[in-house]
Amino acid sequence: MLLLALAPRAWLRLPQLKRLVCPRTLGGDSLRMRCQLLSRQGPAETGKQGQPQGPGLRTRLLITALFGAGLGGAWLAARAKKEQWRQQRRTEALRQAAVGQGDFSLLDHRGQARCKADFRGQWVLMYFGFTHCPDICPDELEKLVQVVQQLEAEPGLPLVQPIFITVDPERDSVEAMARYVQDFHPRLLGLTGSAEQIAQASHNYRVYYSAGPKDEDQDYIVDHSIAIYLLNPDGLFTDYYGRARSAEQIADSVRHHMATFRSVLP
Amino acid sequence: MAAPSMKERQACWGARDEYWKCLDENTEDVSKCKKLRSSFESSCPQQWIKYFDKRRDYLKFKEKFEAGEFQPSKTSAES
Repeated sequence: MLLLALAPRAWLRLPQLKRLVCPRTLGGDSLRMRCQLLSRQGPAETGKQGQPQGPGLRTRLLITALFGAGLGGAWLAARAKKEQWRQQRRTEALRQAAVGQGDFSLLDHRGQARCKADFRGQWVLMYFGFTHCPDICPDELEKLVQVVQQLEAEPGLPLVQPIFITVDPERDSVEAMARYVQDFHPRLLGLTGSAEQIAQASHNYRVYYSAGPKDEDQDYIVDHSIAIYLLNPDGLFTDYYGRARSAEQIADSVRHHMATFRSVLP
Repeated sequence: MAAPSMKERQACWGARDEYWKCLDENTEDVSKCKKLRSSFESSCPQQWIKYFDKRRDYLKFKEKFEAGEFQPSKTSAES
């Protein structure tokens, strides 16, 4: 149909084609319209043949275009509406998660009670470990601190709160935590608590931990999953980083999350 | 027993690294590195020594494995 619209003059020379191209037996508006276009052969030329004028080619095209645009517009509007509804549902789910999930009720290394809501409004990088850890926890905490320092050095970025939570509540008292965190960063917060509180916090962050067998001097190593968790200012779990990620990679990722963050809480 | 401080940790790691360097140079011959071994044992908690020994074993195994020294047994290859 478009081809015909673009080259009506060509058909002027072939009026007899009309009978071949438009068999009456085939129905359909498009065919009928095409036949009418063929028989029109341009508004200027039909005057001689004495055929009824009716709406010209341009008008028909305009009507079709408007109709098409209308349909397209309706489809786009429906799609946008559906997307909006989906976003609202997601925001609602995130709001519930922000309040209900990943909560903890622990003591910091100064003996003050802390829960997740205390960190609302702040980005948090969290690591679970224990003070008697031979090498992994100090390495991961060093890495975490490097990330915090890299981001601190950039003006315009909010400060990230580093948190270290113990998976060894039996030995990691408030004093032990205080001694441990001072070696890393002045803002590193150590959190500890009772065995139940630690179990609850670890469960909420899907952290596995298992104390190994004790040796002669009652020392033991706690096997545990290794990850640095990122929480956004709404308190929502946003990302996690394993041993393979470098400090630069983590800092890049945190920067990206900061740039794209939009709060879901009122 | 309090956890080792950062200084103590670093002393332990240093002793461990010296000991491991000696083992690397002497193809795992423990008798050639006795002095460094006792220095290592006095710098680190016992649990850590056990842990680092196991870690060394694992790292050596991983090296061999990656160098292709382990071939699948005939039966497992056919299954």
